[in-house]
Amino acid sequence: MRVCLPIVFFLNILFSGIAISQDYDFDIPEEEEEASIEFNGNLDAKWGILRARKESPLYRMNFFNTGNDDSYLSQNRLDFYFNGEYRHKQVGFLMKTFYQYTKEGPIDPTFFELYGSLNLTPRLSAGVGKRRYFWGKGYAFNPVGYVNTEKDPENPDLALAGIVSGYFNYNKSYESEWLQNMSFSGIVMPQEAEFNDKFSQADHTGIALKLYFLLRNIDIDFMMFQRQDEPQRYGFDFSTNIRTNLEIHGEVSYDKDDPKAFVQNNEILQKKISGTSYLFGLRYLTNLNTTIIAEYYRNNRGLNETEFTDVLNFLGNAMDSGDPEIVSQTRLDFTSRFQTRTFMRDYLYIKVSQPEPFSWLYSSIGAFTIYNLNDNSFTLSAQLGYKPFTNFEFLLWPTLFWGDGNSEYGSKQFETKVETWLRFFF
Amino acid sequence: MIRYKWLFSVLSLALFSSGFSQNANEILKQADEKLLPESFESYRKLINEEPDGSKKEFIFYSVKKGKDNVAMLYLSPASDKGRATLRKGDNMWLYIPNVGRPIRITSLQSVVGGVFNNSDIMRLDYSVEYNATFNEKTDSQYILDLKAKTTSVAYDKLKMWVDKKSLLVEKVECYAASGTLIKTLEFKEIKDFGNGLVRPAVIETTSPLYKGFRSVLIYSKLKLRKFPNEVFTLDYIPRLGELR
Repeated sequence: MRVCLPIVFFLNILFSGIAISQDYDFDIPEEEEEASIEFNGNLDAKWGILRARKESPLYRMNFFNTGNDDSYLSQNRLDFYFNGEYRHKQVGFLMKTFYQYTKEGPIDPTFFELYGSLNLTPRLSAGVGKRRYFWGKGYAFNPVGYVNTEKDPENPDLALAGIVSGYFNYNKSYESEWLQNMSFSGIVMPQEAEFNDKFSQADHTGIALKLYFLLRNIDIDFMMFQRQDEPQRYGFDFSTNIRTNLEIHGEVSYDKDDPKAFVQNNEILQKKISGTSYLFGLRYLTNLNTTIIAEYYRNNRGLNETEFTDVLNFLGNAMDSGDPEIVSQTRLDFTSRFQTRTFMRDYLYIKVSQPEPFSWLYSSIGAFTIYNLNDNSFTLSAQLGYKPFTNFEFLLWPTLFWGDGNSEYGSKQFETKVETWLRFFF
Repeated sequence: MIRYKWLFSVLSLALFSSGFSQNANEILKQADEKLLPESFESYRKLINEEPDGSKKEFIFYSVKKGKDNVAMLYLSPASDKGRATLRKGDNMWLYIPNVGRPIRITSLQSVVGGVFNNSDIMRLDYSVEYNATFNEKTDSQYILDLKAKTTSVAYDKLKMWVDKKSLLVEKVECYAASGTLIKTLEFKEIKDFGNGLVRPAVIETTSPLYKGFRSVLIYSKLKLRKFPNEVFTLDYIPRLGELR
């Protein structure tokens, strides 16, 4: 560290745009003040080493006939996010693109967002295109996230793709001690093209509505979702600070005719169930500036222990057959029917993070666990971050998946992984 | 008779103290008005200076309306650009573009690191959060003791130095309930921002808890401006840039 100090000092002198000078003047760059079009983004260079769990049915399925014998695998990739925003008076346009480079070859951009908006007044806005929505108050899970792309609880802050939709938002403030703000959001979602990659059924257009209130010091939302042949969903959420350093939040969703996939007689079947999923959580800041996030999540359509074992046996049987056609069909069935990151019913999420521990400047450490309360398996992950320069970040991220062979985290395709991220922002 | 005299003395003292406190609160209100007008916009630069001499800099666009509505948009560095914070009284939210929705944060937390915490950067009028009494009057200054009205305020007590002539705040010491000095704010560089708005353009902050650290907040382009109430809502946070 001592050796680095002169270098840091030199770089600082070289790169610091505006030093603290006697006259305390600073310039606001013209393009920031006047620009109506802006570009920004980041490049994440990621390298990881992973220890395979070769007996896992998931590993056997994903690495079937790949010829891999090694227990340790490495993964290198470049994730590039490029965003553009244009704004002129009431009209706006936003684009968020994502490119992933793993090896030489053509790379197609993924549009995470691509929409135009009309911000008619501070009260009224509307837009159309592909857009991300973020319903719910939970950090790792969102049972009321009817229009959200499902988060990865292992990295809830990761940018995700939106949905094609039209939206309308009305927002009104009140000079009242009780009701201070109210807003109404409506979202219309055409079905994704399924005929000739262009057409879809008009009567399968979905509608989602949300009503928000700031009632004294409590954020409250009521929401619903409806689309033909899909479950009807009704929910509410809340969030409030009960002390200056303690926030609590919750979500409750009632889902009618929610499809639940399960395995019976070595076959994936589906049944419709109705019931409630919910989440309760808190965010606590200690005197030592440590932030603790804790959440309990109940997933109504999650599998129980026996049902999950049946799924693993189903995958195992397909792999035991050694028939590429059966394996391919099994992979297709499994990925299409179990499109979830939370297979089971009850989860506990705990995250602890500390900025600049032991007075290490620009660093942060943290750890989180996702504990499956049904089968007592868990993932445990540490995060070490370091930001020595403006617009640069280094992350070291070891993760462990633990549990017996029939458990959710004990059957993951990897036992451990260590990732490093180098992030460059512009 | 002696009993009545005693009662009379207590009542007189109470009335006198009350009048004295009212004056102190009046001075606090006037000092607030000098520092932060009713409704305005400004650009601010925050420089966090570390013990090794290195610095981290942030530029914000901020707007304020009334006594307890403050919103702030991060303009630089690129890694933080687009973040925004909103404060309505005791409620505070942080919007991060990737996370996509505003999340509740606490006033004690620091979203930018350094000596300043959220409540320093998103500060409301002092008179909203504190009651004032006189500690001392010198020839040139009022020295006020400020006591938090509720426990939800970031600092339990403040000691404030106000210039008698201009009623501008010159220095503030922030104390925890235990009496520990948490940080000292020094208001410097009196500047005429136009429209009769003359106030310090620089606030320097140091803390005995962060030895060697210094945070400097510099105001620029501070202008009076009216905003609709809807600007200070969760729905509007992602649109704050439209105001610039």
